Amino acid sequence: MLKHLFKMIWNKKKQNSLLIVEILLSFMVIFAVFSFGLNSYSNYAKPMGIDYEHVWAINYNNTLETKNADSLKLFYQGLVRNIKAMPQVLDASITSANIPFSNSHMSTGIKYKGEQISQINNFWVDENYPHTLNLKLLAGRWYNKADHVPGQQIIVINNVLKERLFGNADAIGKIFGNYDDKNKIKIIGVVDNIKFDGDYQAPAKAMYALYDTSAYHWLSKILVKVSPDADAAFESRLYKFMANSLKNSNIEIEHLSNKLTAYNKFTLVPLIILSIVAAFLIINVALGIFGVLWYNINKRRGEIGLRRAVGASGNSVSYQLVNEAMILATLSLIIGSFFAVQFPLLNVFDLPSSVYVIAMLLSIIFIYILVLVCSLYPGKQAAAIYPAVALHEE
Amino acid sequence: MIRLQNIEKVYRTDTIQTLALNSINLEVEKGEFLSIMGPSGCGKSTLLNIIGLLDMPSKGSISIDEQATHKFSDKKLAQFRNKKLGFIFQSYHLINDLQVLDNVELPLLYRDSTAKERKQLATEALEKVGLSNRIKHFPSQLSGGQRQRVAIARAIVGRPEIILADEPTGNLDSAMGNEIMEILLQLNRNEGTTIVMVTHDENMAQKTHRLVRLFDGSQVQ
Amino acid sequence: MLKNYFKIAIAVLRRRKFFTFISLFGISFTLTLLLVMTAFIDKVINDNYPDKKRDRSLYISKIELRGKESMNASALTYYYINHYIAKMKMPVKVAISSGYGSTNTYVNNRKIVINYKYTNADFWEVLDFDFIEGKPISKQQTDNAERVTVISEDMKKEYFGDDKSSAVGKYIEADNIKYKVCGVVKSLPITSYILYSDIYLPITTSKTKLEADKGYMGNYGAIVLAKNMDDVPKMKKEYADIVAKLPIPGKEWDHVYSHADSYIEGYVRTGSETSSGMVYALTAISLFALFVMLLPTLNLVNVNITRIMERSSEIGVRKAFGASSKTLAYQFIVENLILTFLGGMIGVVLSVVVMYFINDAQFIANLNLSLNFTVLCYAFLTCIFFGLLSGVYPAWRMSKLNIVTALKAQ
Repeated sequence: MLKHLFKMIWNKKKQNSLLIVEILLSFMVIFAVFSFGLNSYSNYAKPMGIDYEHVWAINYNNTLETKNADSLKLFYQGLVRNIKAMPQVLDASITSANIPFSNSHMSTGIKYKGEQISQINNFWVDENYPHTLNLKLLAGRWYNKADHVPGQQIIVINNVLKERLFGNADAIGKIFGNYDDKNKIKIIGVVDNIKFDGDYQAPAKAMYALYDTSAYHWLSKILVKVSPDADAAFESRLYKFMANSLKNSNIEIEHLSNKLTAYNKFTLVPLIILSIVAAFLIINVALGIFGVLWYNINKRRGEIGLRRAVGASGNSVSYQLVNEAMILATLSLIIGSFFAVQFPLLNVFDLPSSVYVIAMLLSIIFIYILVLVCSLYPGKQAAAIYPAVALHEE
Repeated sequence: MIRLQNIEKVYRTDTIQTLALNSINLEVEKGEFLSIMGPSGCGKSTLLNIIGLLDMPSKGSISIDEQATHKFSDKKLAQFRNKKLGFIFQSYHLINDLQVLDNVELPLLYRDSTAKERKQLATEALEKVGLSNRIKHFPSQLSGGQRQRVAIARAIVGRPEIILADEPTGNLDSAMGNEIMEILLQLNRNEGTTIVMVTHDENMAQKTHRLVRLFDGSQVQ
Repeated sequence: MLKNYFKIAIAVLRRRKFFTFISLFGISFTLTLLLVMTAFIDKVINDNYPDKKRDRSLYISKIELRGKESMNASALTYYYINHYIAKMKMPVKVAISSGYGSTNTYVNNRKIVINYKYTNADFWEVLDFDFIEGKPISKQQTDNAERVTVISEDMKKEYFGDDKSSAVGKYIEADNIKYKVCGVVKSLPITSYILYSDIYLPITTSKTKLEADKGYMGNYGAIVLAKNMDDVPKMKKEYADIVAKLPIPGKEWDHVYSHADSYIEGYVRTGSETSSGMVYALTAISLFALFVMLLPTLNLVNVNITRIMERSSEIGVRKAFGASSKTLAYQFIVENLILTFLGGMIGVVLSVVVMYFINDAQFIANLNLSLNFTVLCYAFLTCIFFGLLSGVYPAWRMSKLNIVTALKAQ
């Protein structure tokens, strides 16, 4: 029977080719949406790595006249001490501009065993950073006061970078070279991954370097962990304090939770637009397939009548028509899968292979269901054709 | 008027070659009413299609009105059919989406004419076939005989010199068939239109000037 | 002839209502998507509030230094604008403004985020803001570094509440400094990022010394206004000549780039000299449009072919009675265009509804999409394109149909 159906489809390849292309394209669209959606979801399911609630970010710019590193250091350490002394503040940390959920990114490369690894997010932090964000230490240690010695070549990396470099092996004490391989840097700690690009983006490779005192003239953010009862009145006091301490500086206080919401939109808005467009395209295609199949059945009344006359039951006729549609879908899906498989193989867009594979399976199921639904009604109609009437028309 | 020389028509599929027409020589005079007869599958419809320039012979030449037609382009062919030929089919082939009048006007659409002219000519043609009271009907609202009369009106509306009829009475009962035949005979008599008709019906064929019989693609009489 | 086509087209549409529904659905929704996108783009780049003198203005907002291994792109310094741009001969006015920054203020224990922008006096003359209350910051106020400000209508509502009384003369606190409100203007959407701000402050009240940074890379941009439209190319040329002669500020650089752009060029300039923003934006838009149109087109082609096969008898008869292949193809394309325009009309109605909802939901504040003449023109062009795209192949198939088989098919 299957061979018979293939023969029928092959003999009508010209009419069927357009339908195949249409199903193929729908498959690709669905595949794209599912890949994007699944990837976002799998990232969303991963832990954030930090507690961003009740963390505020103070933006400032260094407007002090002095160029003396020591007096800068004295000033900013005093500033942080004063902030920490406020009753609702739990901890505070001065960092480089690339705080979580900000548009600011800094990246660098390293050399390990002769291999150049680039695009590593580079954060400049102090010893208060993990406590402020509740960042978990997985191995080794974080920086402490004693590390503020010039010329120390030590680093803390995140888990993604650790797995990239050492797999499951221990990373503590290992040494790699900086971007031009001139300095050897020793790893002293591994911290949990932070999804610093928001809920829907996978955590990327990152390393956290302790800045030295000369950095104070370009650092521009203070992360402040406050207690849950810190309100706008307190925020306004903090603001006044910053404005008075740093005259001539522009001060802004942002909440990390708000920044996260804003940042998530970068992923969600395209996903929503893509889904709406895809949904509309699919409805369109479904109607089209339905229409063409329906028409084909009307056109083939003679053939169907003949089949009934030679002993096919109504069910077997409708079976045949549904099967024909499914074979068409299979042909499209074979071609479509060939294209889809290239994505994980060539590692396009750098998404994990598992996402592509699951997306592919889901899309295949989706297309089968779609075609099945579209062919059921026409198939049923075909079963209702009376052989005598159909043959007479011919 | 029509001259066929050594016409041969071969249908090819991947595996089989079928000879549908074999060295047909035929001449039809101006004003003649010719009928073609023969059993099913003898090639009579193919011959009519070739005369009507709807199909190309595999070999041989046709000239109509002293014009060799085999070198005509698609556009020239279309114009030629439009001016010189009128067709009547067994299954009428009316356009179901158009009213009777619009159906009859059809050939005039493909030549220079105004809407007013078209309407007038189409009404005249419908008067000739006795259907002037049905011009606003759709084909589905008419009986078989009425439909064929509309088809005749369509065939004559452009005043062609030749009318080609492919079993015009094939789908009709004998009373209606006679009616249609009467119209064709009148047309031939009064207007001098040359008519070539394919038919199954010996009685109809007897009413025409000349009868050509085909058997297995060859002319036997 | 056209009348006849129209008759037949309508008759065909009415006969197979389901197919008609599929076609119209595909066309109208595709068009709706494209129209909303067009309206959005049109609003973003063609809305000339408040820069009504756009056709005689050029925007200079970026400078790029490029070396063998490094590149650095940013806005300009005040020093640069003052020394190179303000000294140009063609412009009659030079508007200077900073990029927008944000700060907080706290009113009655309520936090307000304020975006601010420093502007010079010419800014208010080059641009035609709609003043709801008060008037722009004057030259004298700017020269005296008076702490006055022009605020947006939205900011007035947020800061002073909904009360109807005038905000002019009241004080607004931003960055710990009190500014006296001298005018309220109609708000801009954030998509006009070149001019968007909540409050506009005199450039002289900036906390950093204006001429302190003598480099090129800063936080200011300029709009230069020519006397008339004919002077614009000359002005562009003059600036290009200035940039060509600019001293290169360090050994690590070998090129310096900066352009006086028309609004659109400036809007899509990516900040990288090597990849043109215009090409990038156009490619992205056309790819999206093609993607959106591809499947519905294919669908329409499919449905159209099905319909043609259904009409083989009609085609055969037309051919027999003297329609050439070309005439038939033409007929079918016209029919398809009629269908497309019908779908187009539904699409226009649908997009008005969609735009109403988008505007109502205020996805982007102050960005009100609307159907205007330009957008309708695009809709018309899209319809033609769509109709041709989906009609040509079926028409070709139709005209190639063999007459004998077509007549036999019934």
